[in-house]
Amino acid sequence: MKLQNPAIIGVGRTKFGEHYERDPESLIEEAGLQALDSTGITRKDLDACYLSDYFLQVTNKIGLEEGFFSELLELHVPMEKTRSFSSAFLNACHGVQSGKYDIVLVGGMEKMTDRWDKIRDDLMLLEDPWSYYAGCTPEANHELLLKGYIKKYGISGEQLDKLYLALAKISVKNHQNATKNPLAQYNRAITVDNVLKARNKSCKPLGLFDFAPISDGASALILASPEAAKRCSDTPVYVLGSSSATDYITFPSREDRTGFIANTSAMHAALQQAKVDISDIQIAEFYDQSTLLEMISLEDLGFSKRGKAWLDIYKSCEESCGFYEIEGRKLFVNLNGGLKADGNPLGATGGAQIFEVFKQLRGEADSRQVEVNGEPPKLGCVSELEGFGTKAYIHILGRNQG
Amino acid sequence: MSSEPIERRVSYIGDRLKGSQCPICGKEYFRGKNYCGKCGRKSFGKMKDIDFFYDQGNLEVSTLVSQPTNRFVKMGSYIYGIVAFHNGKTRVPGRLTDILIEDCKIDLSCFDGKNVVPRFRRRYSVGESDIIPTISLAFTLADGYYPHQKYEIKKPMREYETPGIVGYGVYTSKFRIKEGNMERSVPFIDEDAVTAAVEAGRMALIHSGVDRSLIGKVYVGSESNPYAVNPIASKVAQVLKLGKEEKMDGVQSVDAIDTEFACKAATSMFKDASSLVYYPKTNTAYAMAIGADNAQAAPRNELGGELDHFVGFGGSAFIFGMQDVIAEIEGWYSCTSDTPDFWRRDLQPYPRHGGRFTGEPAYFKHVLKACRTLMEQLNLQVEDVDYFVPHQPNIGFPVKVARQLGFKEEQYELGLKVAKFGNVYSGSSPIGLAAVLDVAKPDERVVLVSYGSGAGSDAYSFITTSQIVEKRQRQKFTVRHQIENENLEYVNYTTYRRLKHGL
Repeated sequence: MKLQNPAIIGVGRTKFGEHYERDPESLIEEAGLQALDSTGITRKDLDACYLSDYFLQVTNKIGLEEGFFSELLELHVPMEKTRSFSSAFLNACHGVQSGKYDIVLVGGMEKMTDRWDKIRDDLMLLEDPWSYYAGCTPEANHELLLKGYIKKYGISGEQLDKLYLALAKISVKNHQNATKNPLAQYNRAITVDNVLKARNKSCKPLGLFDFAPISDGASALILASPEAAKRCSDTPVYVLGSSSATDYITFPSREDRTGFIANTSAMHAALQQAKVDISDIQIAEFYDQSTLLEMISLEDLGFSKRGKAWLDIYKSCEESCGFYEIEGRKLFVNLNGGLKADGNPLGATGGAQIFEVFKQLRGEADSRQVEVNGEPPKLGCVSELEGFGTKAYIHILGRNQG
Repeated sequence: MSSEPIERRVSYIGDRLKGSQCPICGKEYFRGKNYCGKCGRKSFGKMKDIDFFYDQGNLEVSTLVSQPTNRFVKMGSYIYGIVAFHNGKTRVPGRLTDILIEDCKIDLSCFDGKNVVPRFRRRYSVGESDIIPTISLAFTLADGYYPHQKYEIKKPMREYETPGIVGYGVYTSKFRIKEGNMERSVPFIDEDAVTAAVEAGRMALIHSGVDRSLIGKVYVGSESNPYAVNPIASKVAQVLKLGKEEKMDGVQSVDAIDTEFACKAATSMFKDASSLVYYPKTNTAYAMAIGADNAQAAPRNELGGELDHFVGFGGSAFIFGMQDVIAEIEGWYSCTSDTPDFWRRDLQPYPRHGGRFTGEPAYFKHVLKACRTLMEQLNLQVEDVDYFVPHQPNIGFPVKVARQLGFKEEQYELGLKVAKFGNVYSGSSPIGLAAVLDVAKPDERVVLVSYGSGAGSDAYSFITTSQIVEKRQRQKFTVRHQIENENLEYVNYTTYRRLKHGL
């Protein structure tokens, strides 16, 4: 049975960063209203809501988010809460595709800075407890993956310097992109020198400027069936493929510790579903918890050859850092600044990624807007992860219904 | 707040590094698993229990952690990585311990690919009222201070008529503080009396080669148990898997008990352990007596702070039995009086002492009486004794008491180790005994006299057997190794206090 592709008709998000004075409810309210307003529909048109957050239970003692949202909207429609925005989004797609719902809201929020002193401990909830007991930190696995990668591909000497430089340039590129994103947590440029100095200071291969920050924020979108989308919008963005995959929670137990199998599987399934080739994808939002993950994603998702992503990045960044050029094709990655500069309020992050691709495909990204062959891109992809590659989600979005 | 059920489950697996192995394809897992992912249903219910505790791992990749999560903050910076066992059949996360990293100045490249040994340690900091979490996902380099040694069960060759020592082990940490003519053992921040007791017991098992399931009782003497209520001995029994274990309920057929009598808490139990294995109806082949302390002392500028010049850290364990004995017990004598020369009240962190009165009316009176009475009972002259090992709270007392008894330097110097480890409280005279047994020839007589404040002394006479020589080959981690090892690390007073205070 051929399922009809649902469409995104409106998006909204708050600025990411520290929202000292605001409750999570007020953040999701802002993002949700923005998404609704951009479509011309009202909350009463919603058939259901899908929400996401990782830690509200821990950070804000909110354990039944659906009730708060019901009270906020004064609605009694079905609502479900998941962990990541992508998970909520995928479930929403299933709801619409099954024909059960016509119009749904997908919303994500996170308030990580409310528990600044213990949020890094809380992040360990996304790892297996034994790694935590052995002293693992949210950053440690990234460094172990990097070391494993370097060892596997025998990268040393001058090549290794280039790899480290390529990683630094990812951060510089993402910060540069964020300068054009007024909603980003850090909309300021940084230099390669900043990145390298931070690494030296911590005596580690990856430093402060290699990792995404801790953020507050919310994001939302309105998803509709193709018929409803056509009623409400002249320029809907279609979800051509949406897929997920899983891997062992214990990083040391995984068969491959130089990449994420889940990402590869999810991408494979999403491409099949969308009936597009990877070379058709023009823009992508990657889950760059660290600069390393942006590099690894290029390989896991199939854009770069195994063991070669750093070289593709290094070569692409020799002249400009605006896009990657891989085998003669242009790929724009993390146009909103990525998790690194846009921010990473876990439950809302995927929403901001979809927000960016939606805006770019519609030609509404203002100064961030990129063009391919003289027009806004046609096809984009979003990659979101839960944990350290434990769950992977891929959404392929396009201007055409497919 | 700790969760008691979680602590039980985590320590049951993590302290011993329990795993499972598929009997069909050989695939291995850390932690128990009811079936093999490869063989599926065929393997259901057939998975074999394995432990990685005595195995050597390989640190495949590692990284520096300088901003740990909250419970690890007191550890400072440390190395974290992935450890592979059995050529990569299983991989576990691990923390390298026993490394002091100052200002994150450390060459990381020297760790990857190194062989490592699992160590039983505290897991991280918790509240003062919480259960103390432990784990063996802490590792040290196999080519460092603590060598990898296999535990191999040897079939007993000979039955003896009198009970005696079958095997023994000593554990002191790799850190030392050196002041004047004295070096003292300093625990790493994740060590305490419990971890020292386990390590000493592990060494005794390795040396004795006895089947751990045949150990019927374990005694742990200590005055620095981090718990007021909760035995060290139960932890030792679990980690070292003493007594037969029922897989169904995880309960071991072993009796475990803690004893306390200042520095003689362990030596007092030597006779109990010997009697137990000698008593024909008990079916107790072996009994283990451990003395372990993270010897407490107030800081120097506080009342009782004089002790801070002498206290050490470590443990010793002796296994008693009737088979393959290396030193038979010839006789014993103990004496007691109510002489409170050193004490620690409940809820107080540090002991107090009677100053000058810890000498004549306490230490000397009891040690002299116990030694003289034993020698009288056994009809021994000073010349009949090859080695004399007294309790050693400092360098002066044991030398003076030995001379008063008429012993010559060559009789007492070998067993005098306080200048190398400090006063290890319950482990003090037993470590001296171990140092003697490390080098003694067959048919030599060793007289041990302990002293515990409060006060009392236990005197023992041991006669070594011919088997002492052959068993010696099994132990690399000798007292001498722990004194002369090139990897010893010396710390200053501030670091010593921090490490000793622990997590």
